[in-house]
This record gives sequence, C-alpha cells and structure tokens, in this order.
Amino acid sequence: MTTRFRRALDNVTRVRGVRGAMLVAGDDGLIVAESLMEGVRGNAVAALAASLHKRFRQSMDAGAAGAPHFLHLQGDGGTLIVVPAPDGILVVAVGDPNMNVGLVRLEMLRAAEGLT
Amino acid sequence: MSLVNFTTREITCKIVYYGPGRSGKTTNLQYIYGRVPDDRRGRMVSLATQTDRTLFFDFLPLELGSISGFTTRFQLYTVPGQVYYNATRKLVLQGADGVVFVADSQARQLEENVESLQNLQENLLAQGADARGMPFVLQYNKQDLPQDLVLSKEELDDALNFWGVPSFSAAALAGTGVFETLKAASELVLRKLSQEEPV
Amino acid sequence: MTQTRAVEAWTLRPLERFVAEAGARLTLLMTPAGQVLAQHGFTRAVDVMSAAALGAAIVASSGELATMLRQKQFSALNHQGVEHGIFLGAFDTPRGRLLALVVYGPDSSVGLVQLFFEEFVTELAAAAPAEERGKAVLAADFERELNESLATLFGQ
Repeated sequence: MTTRFRRALDNVTRVRGVRGAMLVAGDDGLIVAESLMEGVRGNAVAALAASLHKRFRQSMDAGAAGAPHFLHLQGDGGTLIVVPAPDGILVVAVGDPNMNVGLVRLEMLRAAEGLT
Repeated sequence: MSLVNFTTREITCKIVYYGPGRSGKTTNLQYIYGRVPDDRRGRMVSLATQTDRTLFFDFLPLELGSISGFTTRFQLYTVPGQVYYNATRKLVLQGADGVVFVADSQARQLEENVESLQNLQENLLAQGADARGMPFVLQYNKQDLPQDLVLSKEELDDALNFWGVPSFSAAALAGTGVFETLKAASELVLRKLSQEEPV
Repeated sequence: MTQTRAVEAWTLRPLERFVAEAGARLTLLMTPAGQVLAQHGFTRAVDVMSAAALGAAIVASSGELATMLRQKQFSALNHQGVEHGIFLGAFDTPRGRLLALVVYGPDSSVGLVQLFFEEFVTELAAAAPAEERGKAVLAADFERELNESLATLFGQ
C-alpha cells in the first residue's frame, strides 16, 4: 500500500468506533487499499458496498438528483459509510453504531480529496 | 471422459482428431460442419493463426439425436499438428473418449506420420491413458493425389497400424472417407461405453 | 428466456443461488475437459459446448503456464471487457475437479462474483456425490440407432 493511501485511511480509522476503512475500485468492487480490524470481511464489504453505490447512483440518476456524495447506512450492529472519490474509487468505512458519523464523514471526504 | 447423465438421459463424448501438420484434420471437421444440418451442429470454433494453421484447436459440437434413449452429443476436436505445439496437443487430448489419427498418405510424409503417432502415444501415456484401450481409428488422407506420390492403404497399414485398428482411405477435401471414419470412431466410443462394468 | 439447467441435479440449487446473488448473466459449470454439468443463461446446447470448450482451454493453458512457472495452479482468472467480464474459477469437489465460467455485466462486478463464488464452491462441495463411473448404459444394438443418426446428420 502506498504511503498516500495509508495516510488517507489512517486518518479515518483513527476516529473512535471505526472498525475499518478501505479504498475500493467502484466498478470492480475490489479492494485497492485497506486498514481493517480483525473480523471485518473486507472483500465482502468492498464488493457489496460498491454494488450498493452503483445502485444508488442509478436511482439518483433516474430521479435527476445527480450523483450521490455520501451513503450512510445505519444498522443495529454497526454503520457503513461510502464516499465517492475521483477516478471511480470509493472510500468505504465500517464502524460501531455509535461512532461519530460527522467526524468520520469529514475524514473520508478529506481522504477522497487527497486522492486527486 | 464421457459424461453420462441418467436423470436427463444425456451422453456427451469427446473425439480428438490427431495427426501431423497439414494432414487434413481441420478439413475433416470443415467437411462435417458443411454437411450437417444447422439444428444438429453448433458453431465451429477454430483457434488458428493468420495463415489458417491450427494454433490451439478446432471444435465442432454435434447433436446425434437419441441412441438407446439417451440424447447423444459428440464434441469433435482437432489438435495443432505442428511439432512445437505439443503443450497444446496435450491439453486438447485431456478427457478424450476416442482418437482419430489423420495420416498424410504422401510417401514423403511417412516419417512425420510415424513421429506424430509416437507423440500421441507419449501424450496419452503421460495422462495415464492406455493407448491400446482407447477407441482409436486411422484415416489415410489425401488418397486422391497422384498414385506415384502416395502410399497405398496396405502400405500405410503396415507402417502405422500396428494395433490392427479400423483404418480408412480418405480424401477429406472431397469428403471421401470422412463419414466412414467418424462413424467407426463413434461406434468404438459408444461400444466402450456400453461395455463398461456396472459399478 | 433465460434459463438455468443442470445435467447433474445436485448442482442446480447452488447454481441458482449463485446466479441470483452474484448477478451473473451466464454461468457454466463443467469438467476440466469441457463437459457441461450445469448452465445458466444459454439456450442452445451446442453454444454451451463451444463456450465450455473455450473456457476449459483457457484454464488448461493458464494451468500449464503456472506449471512452467513452478507455481500452484491459478484458482481464478478474470478477463475484463468493456461491457462484460468473464470470470473463470477452478476448484475441487468430491465429484472431482470442476470449472466455472461466469459472464457478468455492468450490473455486477468481479468483486461480487468472487465473493459469491466462494459460497458457490462451498455449497457445491457439500452437495457433490462421490465420482460415479462405469455403468453400462447403452443397449447392445445401439449401432443401428447410431447409424441412423449419422445417416441423418450427413443426409445419406
């Protein structure tokens, strides 16, 4: 993993409650870079998050709402956040249900900007 | 290895046309392809070089129809004959139920025929297949060339057919002997299948 | 109409599940010699055989390259096209070694296919009966029917 990618992910995983962060190729659903706690199924999260993002993008296109900037899925056991970055890359983070979503989002947007 | 399904009553067998370069293996398949009705054949797949020499294999799937209540399909393959394509010959030979050896009847090609036949035996042995137990047919192609250039069927039998397998004279471009060869190979393959011991 | 069909019944349920979850357009399950055990999305049996022969050839030739490089066999190969991708996976079951050829479109991805392929392999391994061979199948007088079939094929 390049230093640039590592730094981008480290700033996200540093936030309390984040269990892992990844850069994912949006079209392929494959992991480009990852920083994950043990027990997080990176490949599965990457593939499914990329698929979800694709579907949401299509839905928003259909509704003439433009491209999604931020996906936030809240479940009983945790949180999934996806932020699109340039060149078809997605920044994906998973964490506890009570993690600071605002702070995580900020770091993910910074990470996405840092990839330009 | 043939695939037999008792539930759907289907049989699929693989027959490989083997032989030296330019002996007429692809021509055999092209003739068959041209004669078989559309609904009984698939697309003929040829992986060839720019000069139409077989690079990997030719492939022709055939639907024979119902035999003993089984929908029977044959998959016909050719191998690349040129010496340096042995790795791909081995791959195509994997899982073969029967082999048709297409020899070039020209006298000056006899050595190439012998080498290719030896190469076939080596490749079958390398796969743990017993060449003698394999349904095997010889075809002496290009018998339509001037008689002073070609060896007779008897001469070729003496030189190549040491196991006494069925052998056929052929001129594949015109289709002579193509059908008889395929028929003999099909019979041997299906007979072997019918004689296998029940589990 | 897109259809899922299994020559060997034990493969049907895992195949249906895989196709639905991975969003595969076409899927073939076959032996390393290119004999088809199950299929999804193909309509004519003969086209299936051509696709299986070509898929098996890709796996076989890349396997030979792996041998030449003195490395383990490739467990999966992916060819990414503009519209469609092709995923080829090889795996062992009690029924012997099998191959899967998966064609997916823009509504899926290689990541999704890989993800559900692992489950597909596990389900197939659990469902597979031990290898079965050698039952006598054809009637002794099969030659007559064979001759008739070949005569029909060649218009004789």
